[in-house]
Amino acid sequence: MNALDLPLREQAAAIAAGDVDPAELLEAVLDRIAERNPAINAVVETFPERSREMLAAAPDGPLYGVPILIKDEWPLPWRAQRFGAAELLAPTAPGESGPYRALRDAGAVIVGVGNMHELGAGSTGNVSVYGAARNPWDLERCPGGSSSGPAAAVAARLVAGAVGADGLGSIRFPAAYCGLTGLKPTFGRAALAGHHMAAITSLIVSGPLCADAADCRLLASVLFAEDLPAGEAGGLRIGAVRDAVSEDVSPEVRATCEAAIDELRAATGGEVREVELADLGSATMAAILAINAESLSGVTPQRLNELDPELSPIARGFLKYRMLLPAAAVMQAGRVRTLLRRRLAALFADVDVLAWPTIPAVAPPLDAPLVELPSGTQTADQANVRGAALANLTGIPAISVPVGLGSGGLPIGLQLQAAWGGDALLLDAAAALERANERRWVEAQPPLAGIGAGA
Amino acid sequence: MDAADRAEQFIPAGLASFGIEADDVDLAVMSAAHQMFWPAILELLSRDLSDVAPERQPDLSRAPEAS
Repeated sequence: MNALDLPLREQAAAIAAGDVDPAELLEAVLDRIAERNPAINAVVETFPERSREMLAAAPDGPLYGVPILIKDEWPLPWRAQRFGAAELLAPTAPGESGPYRALRDAGAVIVGVGNMHELGAGSTGNVSVYGAARNPWDLERCPGGSSSGPAAAVAARLVAGAVGADGLGSIRFPAAYCGLTGLKPTFGRAALAGHHMAAITSLIVSGPLCADAADCRLLASVLFAEDLPAGEAGGLRIGAVRDAVSEDVSPEVRATCEAAIDELRAATGGEVREVELADLGSATMAAILAINAESLSGVTPQRLNELDPELSPIARGFLKYRMLLPAAAVMQAGRVRTLLRRRLAALFADVDVLAWPTIPAVAPPLDAPLVELPSGTQTADQANVRGAALANLTGIPAISVPVGLGSGGLPIGLQLQAAWGGDALLLDAAAALERANERRWVEAQPPLAGIGAGA
Repeated sequence: MDAADRAEQFIPAGLASFGIEADDVDLAVMSAAHQMFWPAILELLSRDLSDVAPERQPDLSRAPEAS
């Protein structure tokens, strides 16, 4: 197999064994980006000389010589982040971010910067200062956001692993839309330094987007700066919540995820327990209010009168609206957070993971990101966020695992969530599910011929 | 005054209070956002959570301390 198409861990092992020359791999990745990226707009910038310098100085670490893509959400020593936007409301400058240091110290080579939804404020990836990224499974469909470029790049096999960020589902949505495994770590566990909101966020984390759980484990261990040894998710107690997150979803997503949950139960010798999580519906608005308040920290009304005209109309209007949200609601959101954290702490005494669909419907069209659900037509953003908000609001880890293909051959993802610190358990459960379905979905490939991959 | 009328007043009044300028496009986006978010905000505000003492400087990397 071409080294480009090897999983992340096998690229690392092949380089370590001397079977693959990392300099040749880097050049091959750059060539592949040049070949395939024009169709998907996943990579917004490469810097071959910087990458070669990184490789030349790379220490002998777990990712020695492995090319990695990083989302446009962190500075690099030679480039400030743009956050997918014409301007940020926070000052930025080139520098060594936490994810950069973690990757560098692990011997990885940052090969480019990944596209993202403008200001991180969307689950679809169809709005960006760089233009929309496209889903390799269908170029007219959304790749998911906000980590659109990292997901599209891994799905199109430009790179085997990418670093994204998740403040309100932004790793899990694109993982699900693009048929990948994406881990939203426990809050505070993964490197975040250098992010322009690092000092004030209570929701955003960095995390890996890769083909499967083993690759996510490797990249997450680098971002965590700690080992995440593989284990067996035996006797898994799977909590199933009967709520809009599991029921107001398209019939194909519901059937596919319910079948996957049953596969996971059988594979682990576990059980499915129907559980109640009161106030789950309030998590969405509480998380939105929290991230709104944090992202406007330090922003003055006058600043909103000086917005770059190149910001999208949606971003400009939405920023101004957010300024009007009442402080009393933000405080109420804090109480909801406390309430849900306490409810989850009690719930995780009875179950090991919670499971529901990552996204309620497959990737929508780029030009009209709407989804049809039992409750009616909704914007994808409205529908997606309600399944993701709980993990960000409360700090628990979550993972999206590919579990099937729906209409149009588009991927479907199952989300698993565990108690605080249960990141390794989620990876174990994801691996168990992969074994149960004979890795059918983590090895499924998009129709790459359409993006210049005919050779 | 019904909810739609209140919404129509909320945005211009809020913008005027802060001295934030907005063109017609901004106002259209804000109106759509308001329709999307405001019902959930009102629902949140209407809840009596006075018995839920917020965590003091919560450590979101861990389970909450017992209430």
